[in-house]
Amino acid sequence: MNSSVKLKETAPWIVLILIFSLVPVLNTSDYQLTLANHMLVWGLFAVSFNMLFGQTGMLSFGQALYYGLGAYFTGMLVDRIGPEWFLPGMGMGIIAAGLLALAIGPLTIRVTGVYFTVLTLAFAQLAWGITFKWYEFTGGDDGIQGILPPGILNDPVVYYYFTLALVLASIWFLRRIAHSPFGLTLRCIRQNPERVRFLGRRVRRNQLGIYIISGVFAALAGGLVAGVDNSIHTDMFFWTTSGEVILMSVLGGIGQFFGPFLGAGLIILIEDVVGAYTEYWSFIIGAIMLVMVILFPMGVLGEIQKLRARMKGRHAKREITGEGELGTDPRTR
Amino acid sequence: MRRNKGIIMVLAALLALMVAPGLVAAEDKTIDIGAMYPMTGRAGLYGKDSVAAMEIAVDEINSKGGVAGYTLNVYFTDTKVKPAYAVRVAKRYIEEDNVHFLFGVVSSGVGLAVTEISKQYKKIFIGTDHASTRLTVDNFQPYYFRVANNTFQSMAAGALYLKELKAEKSWNKIAFIGPDYAYGHSQWDELKYNLERFGVAYEVVGEYWPKIYTPDYTSYITSIMRDNPDILVAGFWGGDTVAFIKQAKPYGLFQKMTYFHPDAGGNYELMSAMGAELPDGLILSARHHNNWPETELNKTFVEKFHNITGRYPSYAAEGAYAGIYAIAYAVEQVGNPDDTEALVKALEGMKMRLPEDPDGFTSYMNPETHQIVQVQAVGVTMPNEDFPPAKKMLGNWKIYDAEKIIPPAEYIKEKRAQ
Amino acid sequence: MDAGFVFIQFLSGLTVATLLFLVASGLTLVFGVGRVFNFAHGSFYMIGAYFAYTCVSMWNINFWVALAVSSIGVGLFGMLMESLFLRRIYGRAEEGGFQILLTYCFILIIDDLVKMIWGTEYKSIARPPGFSGSVMIGDLIMPTYNLAIIAIGLIVVVAAWLILTRTRPGRITRATAIDREMLNALGVNVPLTMTIVFGIATGLGGMAGALAAPLRSVTPGAGIEVIIDSLIVVVLGGMGNFWGAWLGALVIGEVNAFAVVFVPKWASLFSFLVMVVVLIFKPEGLFSTRKIRKV
Repeated sequence: MNSSVKLKETAPWIVLILIFSLVPVLNTSDYQLTLANHMLVWGLFAVSFNMLFGQTGMLSFGQALYYGLGAYFTGMLVDRIGPEWFLPGMGMGIIAAGLLALAIGPLTIRVTGVYFTVLTLAFAQLAWGITFKWYEFTGGDDGIQGILPPGILNDPVVYYYFTLALVLASIWFLRRIAHSPFGLTLRCIRQNPERVRFLGRRVRRNQLGIYIISGVFAALAGGLVAGVDNSIHTDMFFWTTSGEVILMSVLGGIGQFFGPFLGAGLIILIEDVVGAYTEYWSFIIGAIMLVMVILFPMGVLGEIQKLRARMKGRHAKREITGEGELGTDPRTR
Repeated sequence: MRRNKGIIMVLAALLALMVAPGLVAAEDKTIDIGAMYPMTGRAGLYGKDSVAAMEIAVDEINSKGGVAGYTLNVYFTDTKVKPAYAVRVAKRYIEEDNVHFLFGVVSSGVGLAVTEISKQYKKIFIGTDHASTRLTVDNFQPYYFRVANNTFQSMAAGALYLKELKAEKSWNKIAFIGPDYAYGHSQWDELKYNLERFGVAYEVVGEYWPKIYTPDYTSYITSIMRDNPDILVAGFWGGDTVAFIKQAKPYGLFQKMTYFHPDAGGNYELMSAMGAELPDGLILSARHHNNWPETELNKTFVEKFHNITGRYPSYAAEGAYAGIYAIAYAVEQVGNPDDTEALVKALEGMKMRLPEDPDGFTSYMNPETHQIVQVQAVGVTMPNEDFPPAKKMLGNWKIYDAEKIIPPAEYIKEKRAQ
Repeated sequence: MDAGFVFIQFLSGLTVATLLFLVASGLTLVFGVGRVFNFAHGSFYMIGAYFAYTCVSMWNINFWVALAVSSIGVGLFGMLMESLFLRRIYGRAEEGGFQILLTYCFILIIDDLVKMIWGTEYKSIARPPGFSGSVMIGDLIMPTYNLAIIAIGLIVVVAAWLILTRTRPGRITRATAIDREMLNALGVNVPLTMTIVFGIATGLGGMAGALAAPLRSVTPGAGIEVIIDSLIVVVLGGMGNFWGAWLGALVIGEVNAFAVVFVPKWASLFSFLVMVVVLIFKPEGLFSTRKIRKV
């Protein structure tokens, strides 16, 4: 890959990353820090989800399962034992997520399309049901509060930079995957799994791989958010959480690697701004998304790229697909 | 909501003009209150009722010139029963809107999350509706105050009622059905604790835990009929109560056993939803009743609410109304809304007449638990068309002293030690 | 545990199952047969209940007439939503994903619309006159309205099966799930067919809402509650298989009815568990004879 082209493509992102780094410095309001922190965490969650959906074509409606798992491992260990278990708890949550994905992945990947979607939904709802009902152990609908990170991490600014570092590292790692041969294989699987098989690649193994990776980073996001909110709640497992991450990805653009990240930021901003002015914010978000899905299916970022490409006189490429020809316009088969 | 602020201000200005031409509304000095309530979904009714009641209280106070030279100013946000979102909203209120008080909520999950923020930022949090006893016992923190009864008080009153019932009707077998989450379980646990505390013997013949919002209780109903308890204790709220009663009626459940629902059963929403369909003879209670006590204060409150919203209030409304008056009381005592520690002291010593106080009793705050101490009235359903669209209301009241129903010291100590 | 009680629990399970089936029937048609994932199916159910409430409680219309009016009204509304919005995403890549998204937006919009029109209070309608009591089967009590519901459920399943398998419109509907382009080439007006199928499906959802209203409370947020259960039934029975859906609902209803007696705490988790197991081992559905193509 041409390194100057690569630099030009990543330059805007470096700028954005710098902006996030400066948030605590420019504005010490805890609220805005929390907001930015949520944007980072959900951004990671959405990007990890899109590795499954936009990249590999697997629409999972159950990523909340791993998100919740990461959050609950972190939260419950801190609550039961003590704050020194915050980081180990996060680590254990990530490992548990990986193992769980390894266990149920083969079962869910056996089926495709809507069956896969429904099955992932079922698993996540099962987890929700168990967490909700087993409230003696998990705190149930009351949730668990008082989850304070240990030592210097207890300072919101320090914790923010901690989150920023981990999220950036994770996104960098996921981007490397997207641009690797593995990533290419995944995109081919999205297009035509049979052909990939004929070409000698193991489809299911690759799908399982990305399913596990996606779950692992969702769990990381969950663990991080436990430290931002200092509390966890069963609705982290609920299907509307999985749904939110899908909305964020589509809003930002499933065909662009950073699209979901942008979408996450936008949705969080909209929720807060609209929520402050009206009780009908469901309606407004629903209406906005409706317009997006119908008129701008490539998402905000996708449409921006399209505009840029049109100004340069060629077709926009789906950035996630790499160069030119593999890109498809989601508006046609 | 912000867009209603304009209407409040116009109303307040008009009333002020009518009351005393010389009064000047001091708009620079405001007491800012950040309210968090669900305004959509199943709990949306309680949020909307609370907001309406808040506006009535704010309007009443501001039209009298405010408090100590300050006017009340409220912000509302729909938290949609989401704790993580509510935490963000609370932080926004504290840092962007510079509120003096946090106010709300309906869901205990949200309440528990917000009380942490209240503790962290040392911002007084007035709890107006959520049921969990934990907020004043296990998770107590000094900036939290609750201005409505919690489940312990309802179940203690319930236990006393059952004790008296034994003398009249000689019951022995008891069964429980309630939603399978903390709210359902704490009601049952607290009832059993209080039955034992008051020396009431009982035999449990069945315990049922449908998940919350179960649409069909038929299989539970037939099983309960078979268990044949004398008393069926129910722990539902909202639409679940309506669904259960509707489905149980043709099975003759209410003829075979006594239906007993002391915490949320007597909430007006049930009576307004079911109208004539609601069976007579159900023993219910709630945190506030529209038709009891028949004091001027209560009647005025209920009528005002009805005139403004077109409906009669659920009990969440009185909690919100009381909350605003509690804030006004505290600021009156201290002289300003900024001195938080002084405000806490003032609230701890609060004694104030509220719509739900019968003659001869005034609600007061327990300084140890920050829980308001109020009387609880338990009644029986009977025909009453004074509050349409309800056709039945509660009557045959039995009143329980406030002091008898608060958690005893051992209970508080035990829970806080955990 | 005597035979009488077993029979009574069986009957109560049957009632629950029929309601579950009726609510899921619309989703079976649109998703199972038509392969259009209408995530907002529960919202149409909810609108049906509110329509019925308005007719019965506010306009004093006879319940059965209100039932018809509600079903048709919701069906028409569904057709409107389909032709305005859903139609525009047919033929896209990852169409399933976009359908889920679009219909998720419907949920958000419809929830607030319902709140704006009817408010947040709980509403209720009584059973229709003549059906408010119960009959005795031996010495067991069975509410008459429950019997009516069971009968209606059977009528729906038989009618749906007959129409889908024996009539031309039924076959065309089934064909839309297989190959729309070919169908178009054969001269069938595919967009119109899709709109009509969606309308009938949402109409069924609305009918279920109206039928269930005398038994449940009419509340905001009901849409979100029923969609998961409906999905379980559709998947359990096998996509597009009405008899399968009815039997699947029966399985869930009966498992729940007896779980309530033996393991009351975990009874409500059983339906998820059943769904997970079926999807893993027999994703084409418990009662389907089709094999689905796996990657």
